[in-house]
Amino acid sequence: MAVPWLDVLDETIGACTTLNRPDLAERLREKRARQLDPKLRVLVIGEAKQGKSQLVNALVNAPVCAVGDDITTTVPTFVQHAETPSAALVRSSAARRAITDTPTERVPVAIDQVAKEVSAGHSGEVVRAEVGIPRALLTSGLVLIDTPGVGDLRSAHTTSTFTALLQADAVLLVSDATNELTSTELELLKQVMTSCPNVTVVLTKTDICPQWRRVLEANQAQLARAGVSAKVFAVSSALRLRAAQTGDKSLNVESGFPDLLACVQRDIVAAADQLARRVVAVSAASAIQQLVAPLRQELTVQNTKRTEDTIGALHEAQRRVDELRRRSARWQTVLADEMADLVSDIEFDLRDRTRKILREVDKTFDDADPAKGWDEFERWLEDNLTEAGTKNFAWLLDRSEWVAEKVAKSFPVYREDLLPGSIFPEDVLERISTIERPNIEKFTISQKLFTGLRGSYGGVLMFGLVTSLAGMPLINVVSLGAGALFGGKSIKDEGDARLKRRQAAAKNAAQRHVDDFFIKFSKDCRDAARHVQVSLRNHFSTLAEELQETLLESARSARRAVQDDATKRERRTLEVRQELDKLVELYKKVQVLGGSQVALGITA
Amino acid sequence: MSLEAKVWALLNEALIVYRDSPRATGWLRNQLARFGEPVRIAVAGSQRIGKSTVVNALIGEEFTAGSGFTWYRDGVRARATAFTPSGPQEVPVVRREGRPHVEIGMWDQVDRLIVDWPTRSLRDATIIDTPPTATSDQVYREADAVLYLMRHLQDVDLRYLQAAHENPIARVSPINTVVLLAKADEIGAGRIDALSSTKQIARRYRREVRVEPLCQNVIAVAGLIAVAARTMKPEEFTALTALAALPRTELEDHLLSVDRFVGNDFPVALAPSVRQGLLERYGIFGVRLTATLIRQGFDTQVKLVTQLVQRSGLGELRDSIAQYFTDRREVLKARSALLALEVVLRAEPKPAARKIVMDLERIVSSAHDVRELRLLAALQGGRTRLPAALEPEASRLVGGLGTATQARLGLEYEADETEQRYLIADLLARWREQAANPVLDQDQRRAATVVVRSCEGMLSGLG
Ligand SMILES: Nc1nc2c(ncn2[C@@H]2O[C@H](COP(=O)(O)OP(=O)(O)OP(=O)(O)O)[C@@H](O)[C@H]2O)c(=O)[nH]1
Ligand SMILES: Nc1nc2c(ncn2[C@@H]2O[C@H](COP(=O)(O)OP(=O)(O)OP(=O)(O)O)[C@@H](O)[C@H]2O)c(=O)[nH]1
Ligand SMILES: [Mg+2]
Ligand SMILES: [Mg+2]
Repeated sequence: MAVPWLDVLDETIGACTTLNRPDLAERLREKRARQLDPKLRVLVIGEAKQGKSQLVNALVNAPVCAVGDDITTTVPTFVQHAETPSAALVRSSAARRAITDTPTERVPVAIDQVAKEVSAGHSGEVVRAEVGIPRALLTSGLVLIDTPGVGDLRSAHTTSTFTALLQADAVLLVSDATNELTSTELELLKQVMTSCPNVTVVLTKTDICPQWRRVLEANQAQLARAGVSAKVFAVSSALRLRAAQTGDKSLNVESGFPDLLACVQRDIVAAADQLARRVVAVSAASAIQQLVAPLRQELTVQNTKRTEDTIGALHEAQRRVDELRRRSARWQTVLADEMADLVSDIEFDLRDRTRKILREVDKTFDDADPAKGWDEFERWLEDNLTEAGTKNFAWLLDRSEWVAEKVAKSFPVYREDLLPGSIFPEDVLERISTIERPNIEKFTISQKLFTGLRGSYGGVLMFGLVTSLAGMPLINVVSLGAGALFGGKSIKDEGDARLKRRQAAAKNAAQRHVDDFFIKFSKDCRDAARHVQVSLRNHFSTLAEELQETLLESARSARRAVQDDATKRERRTLEVRQELDKLVELYKKVQVLGGSQVALGITA
Repeated sequence: MSLEAKVWALLNEALIVYRDSPRATGWLRNQLARFGEPVRIAVAGSQRIGKSTVVNALIGEEFTAGSGFTWYRDGVRARATAFTPSGPQEVPVVRREGRPHVEIGMWDQVDRLIVDWPTRSLRDATIIDTPPTATSDQVYREADAVLYLMRHLQDVDLRYLQAAHENPIARVSPINTVVLLAKADEIGAGRIDALSSTKQIARRYRREVRVEPLCQNVIAVAGLIAVAARTMKPEEFTALTALAALPRTELEDHLLSVDRFVGNDFPVALAPSVRQGLLERYGIFGVRLTATLIRQGFDTQVKLVTQLVQRSGLGELRDSIAQYFTDRREVLKARSALLALEVVLRAEPKPAARKIVMDLERIVSSAHDVRELRLLAALQGGRTRLPAALEPEASRLVGGLGTATQARLGLEYEADETEQRYLIADLLARWREQAANPVLDQDQRRAATVVVRSCEGMLSGLG
């Protein structure tokens, strides 16, 4: 199917070339290239064990994602179109693990092995899996992304899901029919909608839940009450997969998938096409407006016989060029100032967050014995740092957008395409990865026992006490013996010196780790901010140059008009009118695409 | 002196110290009274996780759940007391369509319902069904032991269990919680191997570092199937047998989905309403399972019920309740009493109570029974492994088959005191050796030390 917006865009590019504006033509060509390679990311999310992975498998009729009764998915799997089936694991090379710019390597695996490889969890280093598979559903550029369950809102898995959200074009929220939507699921749904409004709820496992119709209705009612306009589809992945195996068409219908697939086609694929049309329409309209301006200028000048008017017009054009230059200096200052502020604020924010974590660490190890529950502590620290990093980074993205708006406001003229479509680096997802764990020697059990025995008088008695306490998580021995409630003595006194040393070592290790994290992460953030700044500067400079070119072209045509003789002038007037007519026609087509609401200001 | 006796004495001492405070004495008297009752076991967990169903499975009846705390205890006749805003009211309990029914009728706001129900299942334990809104604190204060229901470990579950162990006394004695993976059939997605798959997951959680310090056991339970089994009606059995008689592939085809099972086009003469009824009581998995079992030869109602009770996890649950809760009534009661006493000492501190504070600490830090129970759980959960020849003996000596000396020694006959003394001395020597055995690791030697202490206890018990 020929894409109608492509024709209109090509025609506009042609007009730009004819009318001597290679700069505009170039910009539209870039847009064209970007729109022709649409990646439509559909994120499949939900709480643990709702049937997310099985849903993806059922959508593409192939067991590409790992499915299991126990917690299974730990890294995202990207499923997209490919002529020949292929699969790969993306690992971060262990050498240097930073938050951004993590070097990764792709390791190809057999497609029938990928699910197994992912669930086997060669943990840590696999960042995601990629699957290419020939499917009609995916040819439009659809990428299905299976994600780990969102349960523990602070865990690293969850963080990666939320990072992926930034890039999602649409979301399928999966909840099984064994239960109505819980309050945490509703909460998740609302949170998701703030980053990606195109959400569809999928109710799975209808084959095993006698009550699924009641649950479906209850969910719809709940969504309506919460003011969420998402549609809900009830499906059974199990039936769909079986239908595919046995070629049973009626079973496929029973599975509920035809309706879901139609919705994906309509609300996600088609809607994305609409979005592409709009982007194209806005850019084309803007180009046409700029083509029209000089022509109109020329026409006005030719219609006036009097030389002074013509000269006045010339002066006016000149004045506007100067004005533009002067005001360009202003937006550049705004951009530079705002970005400098941004960088220092972001750094302050990060420092504040890490400081809070360190205070918590200190407080903990004032009392607690690091020998107990160190593993848990490591996990806690990692979770907290990841959270701090993610929040900080999200803030950076938010602020960048705000800066773009502010610069746009200080720009000399208003245009519909003033704001850049995206100011984020295209690969945000790859830029965030896990953080190294603090690496200090583990406190061994024997060390612990030794401490207990050394300080004891009775030996055996102490041994008994220590052993009964060993192995409990971060047990607060002090509070057991020394609280206001229990005035008595405890092992605290005996192990004091050693405990103090252990606590100091733990605090130190944590401090070092957090410092490391801070230095790495804030550097990464500064780099990211620089990228954003450069891309914003390029964007606005191009716009400014275009504007200048338009004004200069107007001045040039005014000058031509003054110089031409009468017959030449008449012929030229006719030419200009024809050009304008063509442009007006083109502009109408652009408006049909759903683009500009701004009238062109002339009629054919 | 046994733990129970020590705590009993301490409570009485506290009664004297606090004789001027009506609030404290009232509270303490309550605790003394609670000492003599059966163990109170609360069934807790989030909304619709299957609490009331598990309660019914344990009692062997299909009670309709109330909205607040509902206590089920043994009694001479069926009766119930509803605690309403206007005071306690006696309400009737009747049977309707085979199901017991508490007629709370006009009392729409009942905070607590106490149902007396004569049955052997409630002889040793009072079962408390809890509302989903109850906090960890409320539940643990109300009961001596808790069955906590969850699906997969989520943040809320962990927080709930951790909150219950924040108190220093509770933290060193995490012996009163058993976690259930509820609706095991759904976790296994209704496949015929669902229950064994979920049992596998339970086994993993038993050793999971975050769960292990907070509970004694993790068990996969399909409450729905357990209730259906314990209350199976003859006509249900007939219907299930008719289903099992169908050719396997044909039946499978009609059991592909719940919609197919209740659909119009069905090969056996079973009215849709009958099939609907089976689905409600057994679930699609229950129907699949019973059909398979009948085909495998469990073809009488008695055989089938026995199989279902085992497979649903109810058998394992009952064993754990016996081993960790009802057999250890004294320890759990003492633990509850110490926690309650601590509340008084904290709420109304006074110099005269100083000795009680110190005694309390000593009892808590030296309670051998607590260590026994933790070791038992560690051995059964596979966290602590002893050489194969030693493991069953260790388990038995710390009370795994019963806490009487006879049971600990594994004697099948009445041995006289001299013989027992001789036996114990022998065991003691052997286990002392293990406690210092350099071949064993720390954890194993620690286990041996606990066994030694249990033997010493038996010896001193002989007088
Ligand atoms: N009967 C039936 N079972 C399903 C269906 N969808 C998923 N399951 C089962 O539900 C269980 C969980 O499915 P997964 O796809 O692994 O769920 P998940 O949400 O990806 O799980 P995590 O990634 O581990 O959070 C598996 O046992 C699946 O076989 C369905 O539509 N019908
Ligand atoms: N498939 C299946 N369904 C179950 C099981 N246990 C309970 N259910 C169903 O789950 C639903 C809720 O069960 P309840 O026992 O009322 O759950 P609850 O936790 O007491 O619910 P609240 O008191 O409302 O929080 C009911 O529809 C039960 O039939 C089970 O083991 N398997
Ligand atoms: Mg998954
Ligand atoms: Mg209930």
